[in-house]
Amino acid sequence: MKIIETKELKKIYSLGKIEVNALNGVNVSVDEGEFVAIMGPSGSGKSTFLNMTGILDTATSGEIHINGYDITRMNSNARAEYRLKHIGFVFQFFNLFMELSALENVMFPMMLSKHPFYKERAEELLELVGLKARINHLPSELSGGEQQRVTIARALANKPKLLLTDEPTANLDTKTTKKIMELFIRLNKEQRQTIIMVTHNPELGAMADRIIRFRDGKVEE
Amino acid sequence: MSAVLFYAVKDVRKNRRAFIFITIAIALSTANIIILNGMVYGMTDDLVESTIETSAAHISIYPNEKDKYIEGLGIKEQKLESIEGVIAYSPRLSSGGALSYREKSKTIKLLALEPSKENRVTTLLSKIDSGETLEASDRSSILISYRVAEDLKAKVGEDAILVFENSNAKVYRIKGILRTGTAMDMNTVVINFDEAAEQLALNNKASTVLVRLSDISLSGQYKIKITRELGVQKVKEWKQEVESILSTAETFGRISSVINAVGLFASAVSVGVILYINILHKRRQIGVMKAIGMRDSQILSVYIVEAVLIGIIGIIIGDALGYAGTKYLEAHPFTDPITGDMAPRFYTYLLYDASMVAMLTVLIASLYPALIAGRMNIIKAIWGT
Repeated sequence: MKIIETKELKKIYSLGKIEVNALNGVNVSVDEGEFVAIMGPSGSGKSTFLNMTGILDTATSGEIHINGYDITRMNSNARAEYRLKHIGFVFQFFNLFMELSALENVMFPMMLSKHPFYKERAEELLELVGLKARINHLPSELSGGEQQRVTIARALANKPKLLLTDEPTANLDTKTTKKIMELFIRLNKEQRQTIIMVTHNPELGAMADRIIRFRDGKVEE
Repeated sequence: MSAVLFYAVKDVRKNRRAFIFITIAIALSTANIIILNGMVYGMTDDLVESTIETSAAHISIYPNEKDKYIEGLGIKEQKLESIEGVIAYSPRLSSGGALSYREKSKTIKLLALEPSKENRVTTLLSKIDSGETLEASDRSSILISYRVAEDLKAKVGEDAILVFENSNAKVYRIKGILRTGTAMDMNTVVINFDEAAEQLALNNKASTVLVRLSDISLSGQYKIKITRELGVQKVKEWKQEVESILSTAETFGRISSVINAVGLFASAVSVGVILYINILHKRRQIGVMKAIGMRDSQILSVYIVEAVLIGIIGIIIGDALGYAGTKYLEAHPFTDPITGDMAPRFYTYLLYDASMVAMLTVLIASLYPALIAGRMNIIKAIWGT
């Protein structure tokens, strides 16, 4: 079953009088449970594509269907609700809430979705990513790899259908990168978590089930 | 606990150093409202009360338009005694004159009254700065206001010559010096009613009759009743007697409102600027909040709730400061040579008013930064573009 399907997806940015075609008619589909790597040179449109499928940005034209819903027709509140319940993000710069502990960072999306056992589930998720002993630490007290694992636990909080990650290991050393990738693969294999990962690194791309290559705002055939 | 409140509390705790400035600004403007208004209203109420207690009573009866004196005083007194709700009355004679002491002389206002009746209506005769008060039998003694005593350098126990407006002159013993805290302190000499009536050849007449009621709030009804029953034309309630004081107080009230507004504006600016800077520093976090599914309205609410939390702390401190400041100034009043001590009074309603106004200011000031946070573009916020 297709979890993502885009049809003639276009995104044009205006930089003053100049228009930039970030996406120029992208047709992509991703099946449920797939681990897809998106690769391509800088400016090829891969992060823009990720923002579109994560409902963080709006398309200039075209369609994006996630789990059968055309998300381009959603209003602001419906988009927020959809992100909360169906999409998890793992960012390059971790982007944890610095005033919240590891546990609270993971609890927070579940508090928003009014999950009845948010604390217990947050503890389970931190155990899953190997941080049970660090749950009460603030992000500033955690290493880069630990922070990224908290981000992954937070992204999984509301059991999203889709986990989107943009250069998740760009700021991590080789050993930590390996651990994070092993975690992604484990989530994909054991929990059939659909993952779309933007990366520049061919070695990481090779770990995915499939690689989609972008160039000049289009998918390379 | 809701996610909004949860995050707001955490953010306030994390940023407590920055928010201390907001708290101080709110606390000072709240305390400022309580103390400044307490001062204006306190002084006004003091002046109104002392005027009522010393010279206005609850109802004042004056001569008819064309008359200089109230005629037929005896009959009018009998009628007043028969009116239920009138608990006391005091006739007074007012005239001009001069007081000479040794080589000095001063123009004075002569106030003649019957001590036994006056004491049931006003507290004037208890406002003795030095010496003793006038008794019912004291026909050869007078009381002088402290400003008259200062100007003439007159002392208690000494003799002074009182020249009445009909040029009669007689020596009286200065029995006491009055200090009322009202305009009477300027140049008043108090004398026994019968003695003045005899010297001025005014039989069965009075310049005013002050009336004390069982209930001051009924003064309006009694004004009409007394006018009808006594057949007099000019009867005033206490409110009319203190009109000039209330009018001056209103002007001071406006000035104090301007000062309060400046204080509130300063605190609003500090609240707005500090919240705005905080929000700019947190652009990426706001972007992440949106990315994980917070609605714009929830993000706006986070910053409004933060402002309210800081506001509550600031207002509680401000209320405490305002209370303590007012009580301190009550105990250590400003001293004025003419009006006497000037001190604020603590009014509980000012606590509520100041708290509400300060909270409203905080809410208004936080609205713009909170709207900016709520409307922030996710992509620009996360990637800082």
